[in-house]
Amino acid sequence: MAEKKLEVKDLTISFKTTNGKVQAVRDVSFDLYSGETLAIVGESGSGKSVTSRAIMGILAGNAIKEGGKILYGDKDLMKTPEDEFHKVRGDKIAMVFQDPLSSLNPIMRIGKQLTEAMLLKNKASRKQSRKDMNTMFKALGERMRGAGVQDADKSLAEFKKFVMTQCRIETAYSAAYAAAQEADAITDNMILYLKNKSGSSALQDASTLIAAAKRTKNHFVVDSDYDVLVNNLNRLKATLKTEIKKVDFTESIAVLNNISAIVKKAVAKERLNTFTLGYYLTYCDKQIPDMEIGQLNAMTRQRLETEFMNEFLRKTELAAKHSMEITDAARRDAIAVLTELLPVVDNDDPKKAEVIEATKKMKAKVAICIDPLEVDKDSLTYTFPTSMDYAIDLYFGGAKKNAKEERRYNRSYAKHEAIIARGKTPDWEVIPASYVDLDAARRDIADTVKELIAHMQAQLDANANPDFAARANEIIDFLKEKAQDSVNKITRGAAREKAIKLMESVGIDDPRRRFKQYPFEFSGGMRQRIVIAIALTANPDILICDEPTTALDVTIQAQILELINKLKKDRDLSVIFITHDLGVVANMADRVAVMYAGKIVEYGTASDIFYNPAHPYTWALLSSVPDLETKEKLESIPGTPPNMIYPPKGDAFAARNKYALKIDFEEQPPMFKISDTHYAATWLLHPNAPHIDPPKVITERIQRMHHQHETEGGENK
Amino acid sequence: MSVNENDVLLKVEHLCMYFGPKKAVNDVSFDIHRGEVFGLVGESGCGKTTTGRTIIKLYNATSGNVYFKGRRIVAGTKSYKDEIKKLRAKKKQSKDQNEIAECNERIAELKKEIELAKHDQKNCDKDYRKDMAAAGTPVRKGERLVTKIQMIYQDPVASLDPRMTVEEIIAEGLKIQGIKDKKYIREQVIEMLETVGLVREHATRYPHEFSGGQRQRIGIARSIIMKPEMIIADEPISALDVSIRAQVINLLNDLRESMGLTIMFIAHDLSVVKYFSDRIGVMYFGDMVELADSDELFKHPLHPYTRSLLSAIPLPDPEMEKNRVRIRYNPKVDHEYTTEVPEFREVCPGHFVRCTMKEYEKYLQQVKE
Repeated sequence: MAEKKLEVKDLTISFKTTNGKVQAVRDVSFDLYSGETLAIVGESGSGKSVTSRAIMGILAGNAIKEGGKILYGDKDLMKTPEDEFHKVRGDKIAMVFQDPLSSLNPIMRIGKQLTEAMLLKNKASRKQSRKDMNTMFKALGERMRGAGVQDADKSLAEFKKFVMTQCRIETAYSAAYAAAQEADAITDNMILYLKNKSGSSALQDASTLIAAAKRTKNHFVVDSDYDVLVNNLNRLKATLKTEIKKVDFTESIAVLNNISAIVKKAVAKERLNTFTLGYYLTYCDKQIPDMEIGQLNAMTRQRLETEFMNEFLRKTELAAKHSMEITDAARRDAIAVLTELLPVVDNDDPKKAEVIEATKKMKAKVAICIDPLEVDKDSLTYTFPTSMDYAIDLYFGGAKKNAKEERRYNRSYAKHEAIIARGKTPDWEVIPASYVDLDAARRDIADTVKELIAHMQAQLDANANPDFAARANEIIDFLKEKAQDSVNKITRGAAREKAIKLMESVGIDDPRRRFKQYPFEFSGGMRQRIVIAIALTANPDILICDEPTTALDVTIQAQILELINKLKKDRDLSVIFITHDLGVVANMADRVAVMYAGKIVEYGTASDIFYNPAHPYTWALLSSVPDLETKEKLESIPGTPPNMIYPPKGDAFAARNKYALKIDFEEQPPMFKISDTHYAATWLLHPNAPHIDPPKVITERIQRMHHQHETEGGENK
Repeated sequence: MSVNENDVLLKVEHLCMYFGPKKAVNDVSFDIHRGEVFGLVGESGCGKTTTGRTIIKLYNATSGNVYFKGRRIVAGTKSYKDEIKKLRAKKKQSKDQNEIAECNERIAELKKEIELAKHDQKNCDKDYRKDMAAAGTPVRKGERLVTKIQMIYQDPVASLDPRMTVEEIIAEGLKIQGIKDKKYIREQVIEMLETVGLVREHATRYPHEFSGGQRQRIGIARSIIMKPEMIIADEPISALDVSIRAQVINLLNDLRESMGLTIMFIAHDLSVVKYFSDRIGVMYFGDMVELADSDELFKHPLHPYTRSLLSAIPLPDPEMEKNRVRIRYNPKVDHEYTTEVPEFREVCPGHFVRCTMKEYEKYLQQVKE
């Protein structure tokens, strides 16, 4: 099974309104695996958009997060504070909104909107990387000294110095190498154009080629051939212009072939190991020795290893070992303390002062359990204090709030009754009291502690057979990466090139011209492509599409869906696709969750839902859409969705359901398992329920579809 | 309901609607028979809505005619004026006396045409009332022919005045026609509300108190209170939720049967159009490219644009969707219009395609197969 990307557990969200508390999402749970599309289907007001907004952390101000978890990696997005959330939002999880017109800024050029985030994020991420690197250096030095390593500071300083040199070389080298790759692609294209006698297209690309090729000047990319290259580039435009009139491109092709040869040679060269070279240039020799890249790599590598790296690795290993010992001791200590204090929070009537006192002690113990040399941040330990505070506030604040609500409700109810007693009908209704579920809140406090104890125990077990060499390498890689990130400045030009590449990949023709246009110069479909491109600028893992095609017509819709499918495949994205159009779902989804009144009523693979639907609501949705064969009267769903200020006691769909059983009005159905992938919440699946077939429209349609598949399959054979 | 082939209710002839240089509707012709549902499909911006609005005279047509019940209600004059301009230029350059005389004759003819068109535009209602009176049907003073065509708009939120009660909204048309009998109006409003599935209590409420589907019902009630013979439904369901769509389609279907309505149904959701319409016209950038019975159109689409449109319909069938191949339409590649201007030709009875002579022969071949 594929890797789990996102896990939503018992998500419950309400909105505070003047008429009372609207329960928008009630106990929704689902998983999202890597590389799959999960479609969420339902009517408006079923809570599908609210769920997606909770994942993005952009819920409206009056939202109340009542409970549940959204686990992404090892973060709980429900409790992540805003200043940490912005590292996830956009970077890791991106969203495409319904209306492309209102999600683009009308007075800003497309190019600026595409590059804005890249440039802004770049500055912040450089700063952050430098901070991370320095913290790590500091911690490493401390642990080395603690492990009894001599001259720890000196070797760290040496390491830092040559890593920074490496960064400088790497930046210049990789820019030149990328330029060579780009130039290679453009020359190939231009030669193709010229062979097809399309001189004007080639001329359009010429300036880009010249700019790219001139950026390839680097000792390790194009060095001695650079003058020849520039000569050819200088000739290129002139020959093209003269030959366009003659429609005979022999000379231009010859020039391009010269350029291509040089560029191809540069691209084919072995990649340079800048890390080892950085050491060589810092401590051995200021001059770059005159030899092939392969030899150079081997030589510098050998120098680095014998003179510095082996020693340094050993020291890092010692530091890692020392650090682990300290942390493990602290963890054992913390587990003891947590277990001891657990009864204070895990009882039926916790006292506020005691709980706060105990939490203070726990926090202090947990804070020193964090291994500073850890590369993958262990978020459960990190977020323990905030999770605890959140849960405590909810419980003790909730008790107070409930009392206040009770008083308000009684007052308003009495007033209402008084008016009725006077023989008048009041023109307002009593707003129902919205209580905090104190039991759940109390359990939440205890669960947070229990979870951490289990987690720490698991970490201790995992540390039984440590591999320090791997850890040392991890730490060094981390330092290298952060050092590179801290100098990796994205210039306007680089951002533009990246944006243009993105525009090309979402299917916008002539991106260089389009880059400078305003949103109103684009059609609806093109605008939606731009919105998708913006969502992809930071290479997210998860893309949430909130009805991306509802505002578009059929042909454009088909194009956008194809694009999303293609991008999903190319970039291994996980997609959450929100829509009410079942046709679109069939096209896109691997798995489908049908939502109604804030709950998931049916959950399964696309073929489960379309060929074997189980919930009456799914039946109703399927039968209210005509397909190309439908002739008989459509089965509409009577009535409207329930008012979620007063959620129905039983199955929320019961009132509109002609197959409703008596129990549907009394008790909420649990999720029944139909197969390993298919679940539905309806009493019809209970063993004691009468057998009811789906409406005839659906069974007939499914039969017809199967029939069609068979005949088509036969034809294909 | 049986459709009488010969009973043409609405006839659109070479209708053109230009907004400055932009040709929103360019030379569109079609007939709508009494009692049928005529679907008009195409992507956004292709001129479907403009066609509908020009028919009910919300815009002044650039050229072309629209006949409703045999009476010309829309008459554009730009094509005549253009021709006159051309003839005058020709006259100036020409030395031949005969030719000049010919031109003068033609100009006089055209001027007469313009006069006639203007007259028809202006007097169609008066003539209609006169005829009705002659036939012995009671007719009110303010009654107009155009009100026999009513429109239902796309957005049920934007098309209802938020400051008017439902009763005022529905009764507005009657009041404008000069009816002063309040009791009669009230009765009519309640009857209409009940026809569209609302209750009389709703009459005193404001639009914001209703859900999307109910608002669309109010829009429908407002249009049928005028006792129209034809309704132009401009994407009445695309702003609605899935479950509500079926309700509105069923309502329109019921009304069509009970009131004998003729409906022009504008939409871009092809499965709904297929379900609802008897005949379908496909528009592409201001041109009508194909027109046929709905079954025929879906079975034998001829024009490449229609094919690409049909291949893009999403179906609730995952197996089919995974293997779907979308046909792409590129007018520059699929047609050769440089040598010959395409015309609207009948390929087989009732099936028209906009094509050149060469394509026409190809299509004939296809139909035979």
